[in-house]
Order: sequence, then C-alpha cells, then structure tokens
Amino acid sequence: MGHQWGMAIDLDRCNGCEACVVACHAENNISTVGEDQAARSRVKHWIRVERYYEGEFPDVSVKFMPVFCQQCDAAPCEPVCPTFASYHTSEGLNGQVYNRCIGTRYCANACPYNARFFNFFNPVWEKPLNLQLNPDVSVREVGVMEKCTFCVQRIKAAEIQAAAEKRDLKDGELKPACVQSCPTRAMVFGDLSDPESEVSRLANSSRGTRLLGELGTRPKVTYLQRDSWHGSENA
Amino acid sequence: MAAKTPEQITDDLLRPLSGISGRYAVSAAFLAGVIVAALCAFFWQVYAGLGVSGLRWPVFWGFYITNFVFWIGLSHAGTLISAILRIANATWRRPVTRCAEVITVFALSIGATFPVIHLGRPWLAFWLFPYPSERGLWPNIRSPLLWDFFAINTYLMSSVTFLLLPMVPDLALIRDRATGWKKKIYGAVALGWTGTPKQWHRLETAMHIMAIAVIPVAVSVHSIVSWDFAMAPVPMWHSTIFAPYFVAGAIFSGIAALILAMALLRKLLRLEEYLLPIHFENLGKLLLVMSLLWFYFVFAERLTAWYGNETGEMAVFWVTQHGSYSPLFWAMVACNFLIPFPILAIKKLRTITGTAIASFTIVIGMWLERYLIIVPSLSHKYLTYSWGAYRPSWVEITITAGTFCAMGLLYMIFSKVVPIISIWELKAGLKERPQAAHAVAQPNEAGAD
Amino acid sequence: MAPTSAIYGLFPDPESAERGMNALNRAGVSPSRIVVMSNEPFDEYSFSKMDHATPMPWLAAAGGLVGGTLGFLLARLTQEAYPIVTGGMPLLAAWPTGIVTYELTMFGAVLTTIITLLISTRLPNWKSKLYDPEVSNGMILIGVLDPSTATRVEVENRLRGAGAVKVKAAGAIA
Repeated sequence: MGHQWGMAIDLDRCNGCEACVVACHAENNISTVGEDQAARSRVKHWIRVERYYEGEFPDVSVKFMPVFCQQCDAAPCEPVCPTFASYHTSEGLNGQVYNRCIGTRYCANACPYNARFFNFFNPVWEKPLNLQLNPDVSVREVGVMEKCTFCVQRIKAAEIQAAAEKRDLKDGELKPACVQSCPTRAMVFGDLSDPESEVSRLANSSRGTRLLGELGTRPKVTYLQRDSWHGSENA
Repeated sequence: MAAKTPEQITDDLLRPLSGISGRYAVSAAFLAGVIVAALCAFFWQVYAGLGVSGLRWPVFWGFYITNFVFWIGLSHAGTLISAILRIANATWRRPVTRCAEVITVFALSIGATFPVIHLGRPWLAFWLFPYPSERGLWPNIRSPLLWDFFAINTYLMSSVTFLLLPMVPDLALIRDRATGWKKKIYGAVALGWTGTPKQWHRLETAMHIMAIAVIPVAVSVHSIVSWDFAMAPVPMWHSTIFAPYFVAGAIFSGIAALILAMALLRKLLRLEEYLLPIHFENLGKLLLVMSLLWFYFVFAERLTAWYGNETGEMAVFWVTQHGSYSPLFWAMVACNFLIPFPILAIKKLRTITGTAIASFTIVIGMWLERYLIIVPSLSHKYLTYSWGAYRPSWVEITITAGTFCAMGLLYMIFSKVVPIISIWELKAGLKERPQAAHAVAQPNEAGAD
Repeated sequence: MAPTSAIYGLFPDPESAERGMNALNRAGVSPSRIVVMSNEPFDEYSFSKMDHATPMPWLAAAGGLVGGTLGFLLARLTQEAYPIVTGGMPLLAAWPTGIVTYELTMFGAVLTTIITLLISTRLPNWKSKLYDPEVSNGMILIGVLDPSTATRVEVENRLRGAGAVKVKAAGAIA
C-alpha cells in the first residue's frame, strides 16, 4: 500500500503562538487580505488556531486548537464538487485542483471543519512580500477555492528525491511548513500506513480523539489531550 | 349583464395588446432601469470578484442561492394549476392557465441565472454542461449541482413548450386580425395553424401527455434543489424532510405568486369579467391548504430537531427562534401562516383583495424562509470558533431587486404581445357548462362552488 | 399532392356545420376530401371527429425510454471515460445515475411529444393557401378539396342548404 499521510496534534503542548499560521502563509503563497477584509472574514488561514475560553475569571484557561483540512477518508467536500476540483488522491489526501474550480463553494459549505477558503478577490502581495513567493506552489486567482494540502509540494519533492536516491522515505524526514515551525513540537506528520511511524503510534494513543469524528468524515488528524474539554463537543 | 358572445370575449382579451399607455411606458422604463442597475452590479462583481458581495467565511451562500431557490419554487405555479387541474378536469382553471404558465417560464428562467451569478468564475459555467471536454473530464454527476442542471433544463424545456403549444391557436387568431409587419411576425410564430380537427386533436393529446409528464418533473426539480442542502453535513440541513418540505413550499409560493399576478392583471388589463371572485376563492382555498401544509412541515422539522437535542442542530435552532435571526423567523411565520390563515379561512375575507394581501405576505414569507434555511445554518456550523454573521452588500440587494423587476417587466411585455387569458380554451370551456357563459359576465356572483 | 382548390362554406355555429357535414356525406364526398377548420376544438360534434387515433402517447413513452437509456449511458459511461484519480474512492454512484436517467427520461418523453405533434400536424406550414380568416371570427369552415367541375354546383347548393353563411372557392378555381 502507498503512503497514507496523517498528522497528530498534541493540544496539551500547543501554546497558541500561531507560528504554524505564518509558516503556512509563507510556504503556500497565501496572501494577506488587509485589515478591512480580515474584519469581514475573508482571510485564508489554511491552518488557524481556534481559541476557546473555559471558566470564569480568575480561573480562566484558554485552549488552543489548530484546525486545518483533515484530509478526510470520507470527505463530504468530494462528492459535491461538480467539476472534480475536490478529489481524493492515491495517498489519502484530499486534493484541490485550482484549474478545475469554478467557485460554486459547495465544498466549503459541506466541510464541517470550515477548512476551505475562497478567493474573494485576486490575491495581492504588497512589495516586498512579492519577492517571497514560493515557486513550488501555484498562485490562485479570484473565484477559486483553496485549503491545506499537507504541503503536497514538499511531499512530492521528498518522494521524488527518495526515488532518485533509490530509498524509502524516513519517518520524520518530511515535514509540512506548520509542523516544521512549531516551537513546542506539538505537531507530528507521517505515514499512517507505516505502523512504526510516530504518527501511527500517536493515532492509537489513549489521549487521541478525532475532531467531529461522529459525523463520519474519517479525518486523518488525531488530536491528543489529557482531559476532554468541559462543555465542548470535541471529545 | 348579458352573457358575452365569443366575439366580445375575443375583443376583450385582445384589447390589452393594442397601444401602450403612458402608465405602461413609465412602469416599463422604471423596471428596465432597475434591471440595468442589476446588470451593472453583476458585471462589477465579475470584474472585481465576489468579494464585493456580503459573502464571507463560513457563510458562502447567501442572497444569490436564496433567490435561486425562491424563483425555482415560484415556478411551481404553472405546474399545479395547468397540469394538475387539467388532468382533474377542473373547468374553472381555464382563464388562469396561461397566467400561471407564464409565471413558471419566467420564474424558472430567472432562477436558472443564479447558479451562474453566484459562481466564483462564472465565465466557466459551461463546465457544468456534459460534453467531452479537452480537459479530459466530464462533470461529476454525484454532485447535486449536476442534478440541478439536468432537472432545471428538463423542467424549463417542458414548461416552455407547455406554454407555447396552446398559444399557437391564439397567435393564429391575432395573425388573422393583424396587418403589416405584425401580421408577418404573428404569422411566423403561429406556424401556419389553420384549426383542422387533426391539429386540434393532436394539440390536445400533446397537452394531456405533457400535463402528466410535467408534474413528476416539477416534483423532482424542487426535490433536487432541496438536496443541494440536504446532502451536506450541515446542522439543520441534513434532514430527510427537505424534499417534500421544499416541494410543498414551492407550490405554496407558486399559488401565492399566481394570485398576485391575477389580481394585478385584473386591475391593470380590466379583466374583471374574466378573472372572477370564484377563481380567487378557489385558489385561495388551495393556498389555505398549502399554508397549513407549510406549517405542518415547519412544525415537524423543528419538533424533531428540538427533541433530538443534537448540539450542532440546537445551536442553529435557538439562534433562529430566539437569537439574532428570530425577528426574521417570526416575521416569516407571521407572513406565511398567522396573517394568511384567518384571511383565507374566513369566507368573508377570502375576497380578491383578501387573497391578494395574503399572497403578498406569503411571497415575502417564503423568500424569508429560503434565507432562513440557508444563512443561520451556514453561520453556525459545528465548530463554534468559526461562527460568523452574514450581511448582504449593495451588489446582492441590487441584483435581487433586478430579478424582481425583470419578472415584472417580462410579464408586462408578454401580456402586451400575447393574450394573457387563453382565448380558445376559454371559449371551449363555455360549451361545457351552459351557465358558464353567464359566469363570464357576472363578477358579483360567487358562482358554483 | 397538396390540394390546389376547394369549395367551402362558412357556418356560424356548430349545429349548422354539423348539417353541412352530413350534407356532404350524403352527397357521397369521400371523407379524405372534406376539410374542416374552426377556431375551437368542437370535440362533441361529429364534424371534428374525422381523424384516426394518434399513437402519440406510445411514441412519448418510447421517447422516454430512449431518453432514459441515453441518460443512463451518459451517467455511467462518462464517469469512467477518462482516467481520473479518485484515490480508491468510488466513482460510480447508483442514486445519481438514477436521477440523471429519470430526468432524461422525462426530457425524452416531452421532446418526442412535441416532435410528434409538429410532424403529425405538418406544422409549421406557412405556405398553405387553404384558409379563411373568417375562421378566427368564429366561423366553421366545411369544404371539399379539389372538387370536380361537375360536382361544384351541387356542393355549393348543399352547403348553402345546410346553412352556410358564405360559400367560397379557393385556390385554382377561385
């Protein structure tokens, strides 16, 4: 069986620094939209850190939860796209083909994680940010949906390199931008089809849950937390 | 008042086609102005991007899809009246069928523009069409949007022919009375109709077949439109009740639109002797039944959601009923049930004015219902951090206003070009009941029940 | 061959038209040469019954079958026509195939009905000269196509006797 990419996020380690969000923007050519558009919720944070407050002052605690495309095995966004822009790759990822997208936004509505984003305007990079674009990732035009791809460009590059060197990929060799930038090492990326990989081990952990797993989407991301959050439906 | 002779009937029903009054010209100019504004808004949106609308994460469908469902729903007017009443041999339908069929064709055409208006890249809308594309792709028929494509096109083709075929004898009538360039045009579209028994039989057989065929098509169209929502795992969308709920709602809004159109036509085209109180009475009774049915569906849906107490659904449930959407929700209940029910249930109030008022509130209420199905659910999905409120922008409001004005203008043009009451069908109906000839001319009598 | 001439009478109401029809039948005019035109379908009167049953409903059903088959093939074959990556996810779905099949069945039935109508009534036919605008005013036209010179006068008399308001000739003998 080929690779089946998955991730594990340790919510007990996440401190909400949002380095992952910035790294994702940088790696994947996601433009900022400006203060006005951000206030109107037109941001495209492929990964976002959700913030939930528990308790009353002075016993308040904040929980951070990075949410991004869960690359579901039963993705609700795939059957509803009329042009096959949202499809399932052979490595278990949910792919988004920008060229096929005509912008019906049905996939965004069907996604229970709200992990899909729409280009309401043509993206703009103010100088000198335009010099920082990643040549491995296409720039999306107005009217097209986009979302986290598990940095598929890095996956492909690593696979090509490994094939050229006639070896298998090592666990931990390949990291998406968010995983790479996390200071607390709260995020783990790997091959779920490899039972020896760290992500497989964490996927079977007793601290592990699936976000909105009860909806039957079969997400590939495992969230690890010691206690379930009070009053949340995430446990 | 003496009974109308066939000559008088023809004259009365052809009179609106001659001449354009000042009032007509001014109204048409106003409606056209709003339509032009809507077109400008749309082209601005295509140029600048959908960001000029009020859409946002996570409410990706707003006014445009509300309008889409609303207009497709309204188009069920013609089907019910023309097809079902034709098959049931209800004779009172005769003056009403063409009004209804015209609503269907125009409402459907307007509704069918919205899937293109709301696209992120509308210049690629043709990718929804199944053709062997150079991209090596056919469209994905698992998507409810593709089912929409097939269903709406089938229904549009059926409704257009359902409207045009019985129009041919009347077009021949106008051809025979016209002169000059009008004679040429009407002569062309009348297809050389002469009125031989063979032509009449074939036409009536074809109408009968299409009346039978168009009813399941109409039911399937709005079921499929409802499945655009029901197939997605969104709280309060993913419900099996959606298909019958939407079909009932569509017929409900369709009858209301028909009553409104008839009331306006009666006044503006002076058709008081043809569109009688009995017609409004009968349609009003149907509207009452549909209002009760609508209430039943809403009640059943909300009761099961409330009893199920599923967290995601309850968030949407409460925000609609008690929260920020509650003013619209209760306005919808008032417009669809609380106001129309007494008007339609009490015989004294079920007059032309009464049913017209009830219909007006129902049209508003049904638009609100589509809005309240779409927006509260999308703004309150499962992850609470991603909740967000939607507010339409001027672009969406202008385009919405433009479509209502387009409906009005299309109707105005149609009633100037073709008699809005089917002359031959009305005359044919006079023979069925000898007293029907009297019923045409006595507007104050309630008529047979 | 298209009729080149006709003698016809214009009757003011269906009863007299019925008498005119009977008069022509008694004169031995064959039904295929009798022409009737009216601006309403007078279904209850025998003069409007001179027409054989139409297979239109059967043709509509057949058209539906054809449409349904085409719909099924469209839904089934197109999904696998080009290689498309699905990562093992199913591509052929029964219910959507059913929906598309159903819609195109209805499409086929309606389209066939329209085509049958147009073909069997030979519409559009803008060239036919055999018509009288009085028909639009409520007159019922009953006439004989291509009458032989010998029978012309007799036909005219019979039509008048039955109550025709006007008797006219059309076409080559007008």
